[in-house]
Amino acid sequence: MSTVSTPIAATNPALDKDRMVDWLGIAPFMIFAVLFLIAPTLYLVVGAFFTPDGALTFRNIADLFTPGILSAYWISIRVSVASALGGALIGFFLAWAVVLGGLPTWVRSGLLTFSGVASNFAGVPLAFAFLATLGRTGLVTVLLRDIFGFNLYGTGFNLLSFLGLTITYMYFQIPLMVLILTPALDGMKKEWREAAEVLGASNRQYWTMVALPILWPSLLGTALLLFANAFGAIATAFALTGSSLNIVPILLYAQIRGDVLHNANLGYAIALGMIVITGVSNILYLMLRMRAERWQK
Amino acid sequence: MSFLTLQNIQKSFGPVQVVHNFDMAIEKGEFVSFLGPSGCGKTTILRMIAGFEKPSGGTLTIAGKDQRPLKPNQRNIGMVFQAYALFPNMTVHDNVAFGLKVAGKAKAEIDARVKEMLALIRLDHLADRFPYQMSGGQQQRVALARALAVKPQLLLLDEPLSALDAKIRVSLREEIRLIQQKLGITTVFVTHDQEEALSISDRIVVMNAGKADQIGTPFEIYNAPATRFVASFVGTLNIIEAKVVDPAANRVSIGNQDVTLKQPLTGFKAGDTVSLALRPEAGSLAQSAPGDTALTGKVVSAHFLGSVIRTRMDVGGVTISFDMFNSPGTTPPQAGDIVTLRFQAADLLLIRD
Amino acid sequence: MNLQRFGAWGAILVGAVYFLVPLIGTLEFSLRMRRDGYSLDAYRSVFSDSQFHQTFGYSMLMALLTIVFGMLLVVPTAYWVRLRLPQMRQVVEFITLLPLVIPAIVIVFGYLRMYNSSSILPLTGSVTGTNILLVLSYITLSLPYMYRAVDTAMRAIDVRTLTEAAESLGAGWGTILFRCIFPNVMSGVLSGAFITLAIVMGEFTMAALLNRPAFGPYLQLVGANKAYEPSALAVIAFAITWLSMGLLNLATRFSKIAPARA
Repeated sequence: MSTVSTPIAATNPALDKDRMVDWLGIAPFMIFAVLFLIAPTLYLVVGAFFTPDGALTFRNIADLFTPGILSAYWISIRVSVASALGGALIGFFLAWAVVLGGLPTWVRSGLLTFSGVASNFAGVPLAFAFLATLGRTGLVTVLLRDIFGFNLYGTGFNLLSFLGLTITYMYFQIPLMVLILTPALDGMKKEWREAAEVLGASNRQYWTMVALPILWPSLLGTALLLFANAFGAIATAFALTGSSLNIVPILLYAQIRGDVLHNANLGYAIALGMIVITGVSNILYLMLRMRAERWQK
Repeated sequence: MSFLTLQNIQKSFGPVQVVHNFDMAIEKGEFVSFLGPSGCGKTTILRMIAGFEKPSGGTLTIAGKDQRPLKPNQRNIGMVFQAYALFPNMTVHDNVAFGLKVAGKAKAEIDARVKEMLALIRLDHLADRFPYQMSGGQQQRVALARALAVKPQLLLLDEPLSALDAKIRVSLREEIRLIQQKLGITTVFVTHDQEEALSISDRIVVMNAGKADQIGTPFEIYNAPATRFVASFVGTLNIIEAKVVDPAANRVSIGNQDVTLKQPLTGFKAGDTVSLALRPEAGSLAQSAPGDTALTGKVVSAHFLGSVIRTRMDVGGVTISFDMFNSPGTTPPQAGDIVTLRFQAADLLLIRD
Repeated sequence: MNLQRFGAWGAILVGAVYFLVPLIGTLEFSLRMRRDGYSLDAYRSVFSDSQFHQTFGYSMLMALLTIVFGMLLVVPTAYWVRLRLPQMRQVVEFITLLPLVIPAIVIVFGYLRMYNSSSILPLTGSVTGTNILLVLSYITLSLPYMYRAVDTAMRAIDVRTLTEAAESLGAGWGTILFRCIFPNVMSGVLSGAFITLAIVMGEFTMAALLNRPAFGPYLQLVGANKAYEPSALAVIAFAITWLSMGLLNLATRFSKIAPARA
């Protein structure tokens, strides 16, 4: 019977063959990953540094810093940051409420179940839901007008804007935060609070000196994950605003569809920019998460 | 007045009463252990002393001061938890400093006190480590230092050794006792391990189903258990069912043999069944062994446990187990051997409950 | 303590308003099609649209293919990594998480460039090829979820012992994988399947850029051209998501009972 390869295996030809078989076992997965995940991405990354004729250039990267593209990045980053921070903050309070707020257990299971659904309820239908609610003829808009005589759109509010998109994105951002942060809050040991208390700490001192320092890697890490999540999202924004709101994924979509930039390789550079931004935030997330888990052992 | 007094303390969680009319007075500098199985209410009493639970009834004073209106952070108590409960985001130094920092002490004073505490637990060299970088035993020592740093009037230890390896457990309990005696701090220790309680305490409270079955020194608890529960929970013990033969002469029969007890059999009549307790280490098989009483029976089994050999023998239908020290020169008894166990009649305790 | 509970209820209340109002708004809007009162006209209109049936059926089929081929890829890989290549675990896990890092639109952009009609593997050159590419792209998208669900289930059953037991009874690799491993990680397979279903049914970017008649692009098209039907579709989509998650919960709950029965 074969077992996992050991250092001795290298000297034994029979076991060497076993090792070959070992590696063959994940070959399909590796081939799939290279062909449909890694190579297409690398194709764009490499392409960003070449002209259409195949000459090496940094021109495409430099062109990212032209006003039109820069503003798209800027608004994408703003929406992503705002929806991530908003989602993180509200999600934190919801998770806190169900874990430490002393609420009945049905509230907790209800919130977690709903969060599971809502965090997956994104894309086009989410845009429809918010149009039906906060659009010009949406339920809330109409109710505010008819009952309170308050013209929401008279205040300059527009669902098809930075604020509107942020509020919409938070619909899947908050539940995601709740789902990730609830276990983190569960991991806060009761004894930490009791130890702090018995040593003379007030509730405030416990939170500022113990609880928040322990939680912040999870909090900030999840906020970064939410940021990346919002940054790559396109369907909701597209269905909500058409192409009137110039966020990066929509710009890239338009470029893919019709080469609106008249330079395929500039499109690669935009894609590269997106990968760099989501990649950096995910790496930071993983680092913070490792730190958080180290403490929760 | 005693330093820590608990008078008629009761505690119910909903309809379940976990502590019944508990009375206890602990003197300054005393080391008292609460011993009992899980769910006996020992931890609940400790948590009431700390202020995490409010007694449903009764009074609780420390140094003559009523503790009931005080929150945990106003009681000036040191506490060590089973799962260490060190703050994972702080170094050893910062953990020990926490209580002092919270109290708003000056940095120089804090540093000096932390240094003193770390020297006490002999971990000065690990001041900059984080809890996850240390062994369980080291973490628990830090937890002890953290609890003592604020100079508490009372130290509470909630099964502090239960999560540790057997070897560390023994060395740490000795260390705890040494530190406690050095500082002279009044200490309440909760444990389910009888050996721990016996080895470390001035007095032991044996808890059973929310009540104190017996309060006494380790010697009293072990040698003169007041109830069947105490007898069975503290140490391993033979509980022997015997028949009263002659109450006036204190004679009972065990299996097919008669013995004479030292305790009077008042209140029993011939034919009654009584329970007798006999420690496994009380007897010996040697011919020359001292003893005024003997039982002869057939060896059922003999288990070699290293330093001792635990043997079970059958005396006319009653099984008695006894321990004898291993000695390389002699062969242990074999199943089927007929042996005679000699012991002092005084070691055969009558259990009334 | 009371203040704390008050705050907790307050947070839940604010959350509940934010989460429920859009659902109520959507439902209300979807019933408003007729001037003289609430009706189900919008739903009737949606269900009588042949495009709805076609795109819905198409996406369902794609979801099914994604689940089947995705699991055929993921289960043996997760198994093999646990059994024979534990040193590769971190690498494989990292790869499965990549789709969360690389935005979908970037991945599909890469496909369009790499597999266009003038490349060595001209998948986008034919309808069948594009359909295959779409399924592959969906497998990519659901890889993080499928792998995680299956791997969690495998951790629970101790695949190594199970395999060694089967081997000692003379079972071959095929038997081990399909008769021993698959049934025992069924709960993981199912929960992975349902989340994949939810993802694929609502997916827009891949299908739109590959020009396939899927449910996501259809939703977008309706949204751009009609007034009340989009709300009805949003309600339907929410119901599908809820159903998928409900089935997922059921699958995980089933897994908690299963070992006791086995």
